[in-house]
Amino acid sequence: MWLVFLKEIKELVRDKKTLFFMIALPMIVFPLIIGGVAWFSGKALQEAQTKTLSYSIVGGQLAPEVTQHLDSENGFELVSMPAESNFKEWIKAEKADFVIVIPDNYGANPLETGQIKIQVYLNDANLNMVEDRLNAIVGKIADQNQQFAFDELGLNEAQQQALIHPIVLEKVDIADKRESIGQKIGGFIPYFIFILCLQGAMIPATDLGAGEKERGTLETLLISPIERHKLVLGKFITIGFAGVVSALVTVVSMAVWGIVLSQGMAIELVADFMGSISIIDFILMFLMLVPVVAIFAAVLLSLSIYARTFKEAQGYMTPLVMIVIVPVVLSMLPGVELKGVWAWVPLTNVALAIRELIKGTMDYMQLVAIFGSTAIIAGLLLAFCVYWFNQEKVLFR
Amino acid sequence: MISISHLAKKFAVENPKKLSEQEKKDPRLKGRYFHSVKDVSFSCEKGEVLGLLGPNGAGKTTTLRMLSTALKPDGGDIVLEGVNVVSDPLLARKKIGFLSGSTGLYAKLTGRENITYFGQLHGMRPDIIKQKINELADTLDLHSFLDRRCANYSTGMKQRIAIARTVVHEPNVVILDEPTTGLDIMATQTVLNFIRGLKNSGVPVIFSTHHLAEVDELCDRVTVINHGLTEFDDTISAFRDLAPQSMHQAFLHTLKQDV
Repeated sequence: MWLVFLKEIKELVRDKKTLFFMIALPMIVFPLIIGGVAWFSGKALQEAQTKTLSYSIVGGQLAPEVTQHLDSENGFELVSMPAESNFKEWIKAEKADFVIVIPDNYGANPLETGQIKIQVYLNDANLNMVEDRLNAIVGKIADQNQQFAFDELGLNEAQQQALIHPIVLEKVDIADKRESIGQKIGGFIPYFIFILCLQGAMIPATDLGAGEKERGTLETLLISPIERHKLVLGKFITIGFAGVVSALVTVVSMAVWGIVLSQGMAIELVADFMGSISIIDFILMFLMLVPVVAIFAAVLLSLSIYARTFKEAQGYMTPLVMIVIVPVVLSMLPGVELKGVWAWVPLTNVALAIRELIKGTMDYMQLVAIFGSTAIIAGLLLAFCVYWFNQEKVLFR
Repeated sequence: MISISHLAKKFAVENPKKLSEQEKKDPRLKGRYFHSVKDVSFSCEKGEVLGLLGPNGAGKTTTLRMLSTALKPDGGDIVLEGVNVVSDPLLARKKIGFLSGSTGLYAKLTGRENITYFGQLHGMRPDIIKQKINELADTLDLHSFLDRRCANYSTGMKQRIAIARTVVHEPNVVILDEPTTGLDIMATQTVLNFIRGLKNSGVPVIFSTHHLAEVDELCDRVTVINHGLTEFDDTISAFRDLAPQSMHQAFLHTLKQDV
């Protein structure tokens, strides 16, 4: 059995294509792509922030403060617009980035003027920071006006506060930080890990079954005096091992890159969060993945050996990704919790348990159900795999 | 020695309507089953070489696959030196060296590693495998490419490695399915010399072929299969006597066809 395992691993390691998909892709290529996207979008935002915006103003004489501020502020350029022109056409013709219209009731005392609505015409479909940047200018004036009104009314500090927000809802979260973050990301993580395990196992699985058939080495292997179940186990362990390794590589590389790329506040949060999960919980998560990977490996190997060719095998395996999503989505449904029947639903229960472990609210008694049901299913699938490997109609199709 | 008696094998036909007109005419198709091999018998003594002849689709490969224990016969018996191959395949596998017609090598491994893997599967000790590979490399002329990866081998190189792999565990009988098909003249000669070597060391060899010249050169016995039945099973001289002019005539004679 180990003989088969060692030989398959040796072949795997020598296959540059497989190694690329299993290690280089998650470790270097994906972070590069994600990092690249983040860098470009950050740069685009920055550009929008600092880009010089051209504008036209209607009724500027009503609000000298606003025009003055816009003038003195860097990054705004006034374009005079002929009277009676259509704002829409004006902006469409790229004569100005935006047009502001000052209403007639503009004034410095809110008690007299009432609320003032300044209209801004712009093409908001494109990435822009017009609103933010205008708010920064108008906000200052508004604050001054507000303060002026408060002084006029002779309100003290507390009254001013109460007037701004007469009633405030104060949320007191009894869930600790870990639990609330865990609930948010805990549903997503098992999904991610399941797919990674499946993907990582898929490449060698195709090679070990259908590949062997296609290259004509299977027949010779079958008539060598090794018992069939040992042959199956050797291949099965290889596939499972590849699945776990590729998932680990991805997770570790994500962690490393996350630390490298993020700075300051965010990283502290992540570090605190990770620190609050005990080593035992991490080990439990890993242990629970073992029967899950076993299920994947058994299914993949059965499909692979049934297929006549590489291509056929890939055709059978692709829909599996869709199927795996179902139990994970079930675990994210509201009301689905790790107890009763749900603790016995394979894959769903592991997804739920990973979330509970991340949240720190795990009911450890449920582990019996989780390991029980997952191991039974994995065992049955493996037994099926051995039976499958003994069928002439499967091997010589 | 190895003897085969009344071997039979049928395959379930998944969808009989899908078969071509010609396949439907085959007398071996009965209802939902295709009787690929109906009744094949022959035997091969120590030091004998048996040539298995027959048209394409006659049942040669199925017969040899049953001999190699890859397929389980539906009827009949295979006895190899007192061991019943059908009822005790695991024991028989250690005594049989089989080279299938569509055999391949693990392209990512070197020739030596390919041979070693199968030696290990046969439970051989590492030092013995090493020694045996050296021996085989001499007879089959493998030295120049033994430690290169199989991916870039030529057909002849692959076939010679495959043959070495077949006999690494010193089998008591060697079965070769069309071992010379697709090889150039030199490689063919190496294979034929190797069969001769096996014969001289007393190992019975059964091989299927379409080249009557090889049969003429090497074989002691000839078996002709057609439509899953043994049409001829006797010595090479009896085969030659069927039509003194040429081997091809003799072969066609066994198929009851005229030229």
